[in-house]
Amino acid sequence: MQINRDMNILVVDDFSTMRRIVKNLLKELGFSKFDEADDGSTAWPMIQTGKYDFIVSDWNMPEMTGIELLRRVRADAQLKDTPFLLITAEAKRSQILEAAQAGVDGYIVKPFTAATLNEKIQKIFERVAQRQQA
Amino acid sequence: MNQQDPALLEAAQQLVWALQAQQTEQIAPLIDRLNQLQEGSIYTQLSTLAQNLHQTLDELPDNTLLLQTKNDLPDATERLQSVIQILDEASHTTLTRLENSMALLSQLQSSPEIAAAHSSVLQDLRKELEAILSAQAYQDLTGQVLNRVIYVLSALEQSLMALIISAGHDYAAIPSRQLTPEQLKQGVGPNVTQASRQDALDNQADVDDLLSELGI
Repeated sequence: MQINRDMNILVVDDFSTMRRIVKNLLKELGFSKFDEADDGSTAWPMIQTGKYDFIVSDWNMPEMTGIELLRRVRADAQLKDTPFLLITAEAKRSQILEAAQAGVDGYIVKPFTAATLNEKIQKIFERVAQRQQA
Repeated sequence: MNQQDPALLEAAQQLVWALQAQQTEQIAPLIDRLNQLQEGSIYTQLSTLAQNLHQTLDELPDNTLLLQTKNDLPDATERLQSVIQILDEASHTTLTRLENSMALLSQLQSSPEIAAAHSSVLQDLRKELEAILSAQAYQDLTGQVLNRVIYVLSALEQSLMALIISAGHDYAAIPSRQLTPEQLKQGVGPNVTQASRQDALDNQADVDDLLSELGI
């Protein structure tokens, strides 16, 4: 499936190295438009502008967690369909269940490979395309 | 020392009297008696201190010091050890990839046509790779620092454990920590300790299996 490589992506992680890794991997996959946020609390006002087509977020951040950010996105009538991928070290069964219930589109556990990221993005946007057709 | 102790005062007065009256045969037993009384009073004070310590340890909110000593300090040590291991593995991964890259670069440089056409780019690339190689020294430096911190934490744990046991606590009976739903919601980080691996999925494949069960 052909994915729009021009989409605006927001990368949210409190570790700047991880943001760089994610951005570089996304660049290798052909994406080019990124913004960064270092916490859910700084990401949320950016997302509310409606600019982003895809959100890639960490879970564990100091002020607002990724799961809380996901809940806010899903609770907002304008933003609720924004594809949301969690990339996190959180790997407890109960946490993955919680993320699923909150409406996450993909869940990657750290450390991860470029291949995993590519696979998840493909899957997410295939599902988005199916949803739009339905 | 309790200056009001009447038994001590009485024995001291008897000793003064015996000295003044030159009752020499009474002097030695009175000095012994004084010594006994003094030792007894030190033991009483020590046991009061120990009792106070026992109570204080119990009265700290949620037995903080007991739980910290039994659970948090060993947990911190185990986490730091895992950091050393993660850094070591990461550094070796980088070094392996670097060695591979340098071998590939050498192949390019050994081709006369490519070397002639791209000599300066290839040289610059080698410098970049060499800089990445030197940067891996962080593993040694951070490892040494972490080892030192682990040593300090372990010593602190041993001292606190001895203190807690000497205050009359049954160390084995101190409960272990349980993660609360709030902590799980906030995120608990990588599950790098044996205790934290409970209920954790090992790898992406297991996570994917669970997700597909959930329709994701």
